[in-house]
Amino acid sequence: MSPKNLDKMLDSALMEIIPFNVAIIDRQLSVIRANSRFEKAFGEWRGKKCYEAYKNLNSACQNCRAMKTFTDGKERVMDEVGRDLNGRRAHYLCHLAPIRNESGEVVYIAGLSHDITESKDREREFNIFFERVPCYITVIDRDYKIIRANERFRDTFGDTIGDYCYKIYKRRSSRCTHCPAAKTFNDGGTHTSEQLGITKAGQNADYVVTTTPLTRGEEQIEHVIEISTDITEMKMLEKEVLEAERLAAVGQTVAGLAHSIKNILMGLEGGKYIVSVGLKKDDKEMIAQGWEMLERNFEKTTSLVKDFLSFAKGRLPEVQSIDPNDLVMEIIELYKEIAKKSGIDLRAELDNTIKKTPLDPKGIHTCLTNLVSNALDACEMSDKNDRFVCIKTKEEKGMLIFEVTDNGCGMDCDIKRKIFTTFFTTKGGGGTGLGLLTTRKIIQEHGGKIIVHSKKGEGAHFRIELPRRRLKSLLHKEEEQ
Amino acid sequence: MIQKRNKILIIDDEPDAVNYLKAVLCENNIEGISAENSKIAWESLEKDKPDMICLDIMMPRESGISLYVRLREDRRFAEIPVIIISGVEPAGEFDIYKFIANKKIPPPEKYIEKPIRVENFIKAINEILEKEILKHK
Repeated sequence: MSPKNLDKMLDSALMEIIPFNVAIIDRQLSVIRANSRFEKAFGEWRGKKCYEAYKNLNSACQNCRAMKTFTDGKERVMDEVGRDLNGRRAHYLCHLAPIRNESGEVVYIAGLSHDITESKDREREFNIFFERVPCYITVIDRDYKIIRANERFRDTFGDTIGDYCYKIYKRRSSRCTHCPAAKTFNDGGTHTSEQLGITKAGQNADYVVTTTPLTRGEEQIEHVIEISTDITEMKMLEKEVLEAERLAAVGQTVAGLAHSIKNILMGLEGGKYIVSVGLKKDDKEMIAQGWEMLERNFEKTTSLVKDFLSFAKGRLPEVQSIDPNDLVMEIIELYKEIAKKSGIDLRAELDNTIKKTPLDPKGIHTCLTNLVSNALDACEMSDKNDRFVCIKTKEEKGMLIFEVTDNGCGMDCDIKRKIFTTFFTTKGGGGTGLGLLTTRKIIQEHGGKIIVHSKKGEGAHFRIELPRRRLKSLLHKEEEQ
Repeated sequence: MIQKRNKILIIDDEPDAVNYLKAVLCENNIEGISAENSKIAWESLEKDKPDMICLDIMMPRESGISLYVRLREDRRFAEIPVIIISGVEPAGEFDIYKFIANKKIPPPEKYIEKPIRVENFIKAINEILEKEILKHK
């Protein structure tokens, strides 16, 4: 085919080949030619003005771009909203190109349009999603400046485009110490952390922030998305639950204390009774026996008060990052000789993948000591041959777990497990019942809980659950102090 | 009212509670014998049946509640009247009545909280012993 023939063919076919709706408009804004795509999209065009054909209007658009192009001869690209054949609102991407005569005067305009209604709808949906999603979303650049924020964020933290995220979230003057966004900029990964911010109203806001890279194929990450969920209410509920648990423990403490006091009173009443009978009978031996009982029980009162005061006063937890398995091995070391002498197999089953954890080592040491010493006592009182006490460590659902299990049958199946959980003493005159009470108190200070299971003839199983999330906050508290 | 010198077994791990109860019983012409835990108590019961048992709840190794259940389930001792004497509230966490509710065994004859009142204690013993006499007539 010769170039001349090609030109001729293109002249007639070009309008149809182009994948756009094409219309040619004259200076009176009349559509003088259009391709079949245009006709399919807008219907009959012959004898119509462009505003009639495109938008079904009776007069020219207020800000008529075609007229501007006729005037300045410049090409224009813009979004236009028109009506399709069914009268529905439709979005078009329009390109206006001037067609000039030989003397350079713009005589016609070629209007090329493309229906972008679907992508516009998607964009609108995305914007609604972005603005209304019930969490805070910001996009930050490498300077940690907020370049975009959603409605929820703006409502809570203020309209803050261009400000530093640490300034807006926390009113800080420099980047946060444990900044997850910095990690994302550094390694391109997704990072999550719990943070405490300040709203524009000056209230504290607890939130969990997840940072993820926003890349457009660049080698270096230019932007990071921060998505935060407000957990202030959840945190408050958590505090209420902890407070309720604390009050329940106080109730049990009082009940345990009342039991101890009643026993002492029984001894005092007994002493008084025996002294009084002895006096009546002039029985010196009885008087001496009664007096001895009185003395003993006054002494018990003193030590109970001392023990209780030291329990109530407690000690400040000293948090350190330690390997929980090391603690267990210390306990094993401490009790191995005693266990060996009694023929009890004291062993440890450790999860070696456990990471270092912020704990109060002295506190947890006391807890494990109490549990192991009770377990050994329970085994001592059992007649079995294969008695054992086992300390286990493991990770489960974001929790660090310590377990102390024994197969001593000294546990009274119906009662003693309750006694252990509710902290009464069963050690006759010896115990004050504060050992397990102290254990529970320490565990609660770590934000955890202690659970006991016991079955008839199968010994006892104590489980300390320490949620890692709460342990982390222990370390932060320590840092703040 | 008490016809012959009765014998009561006191099961309690607190020596002062035992001394007190024994002294009160002695003053009322009742023989008091004691056992500091359930094992010793069982041995004593097998040797010589008492007329009544005073039983503590919070004891090491085996609690009074568990021992009470065993006593009631053993034909040899099921009929011996039992007074629970404990520092634990009867309706609290260690409610013996709840523990025995589905065990088809009768409740203890009496529940007395520590510290005891001597008059109430003796009154309860006399009432129970009188009932026993009537039962066996």
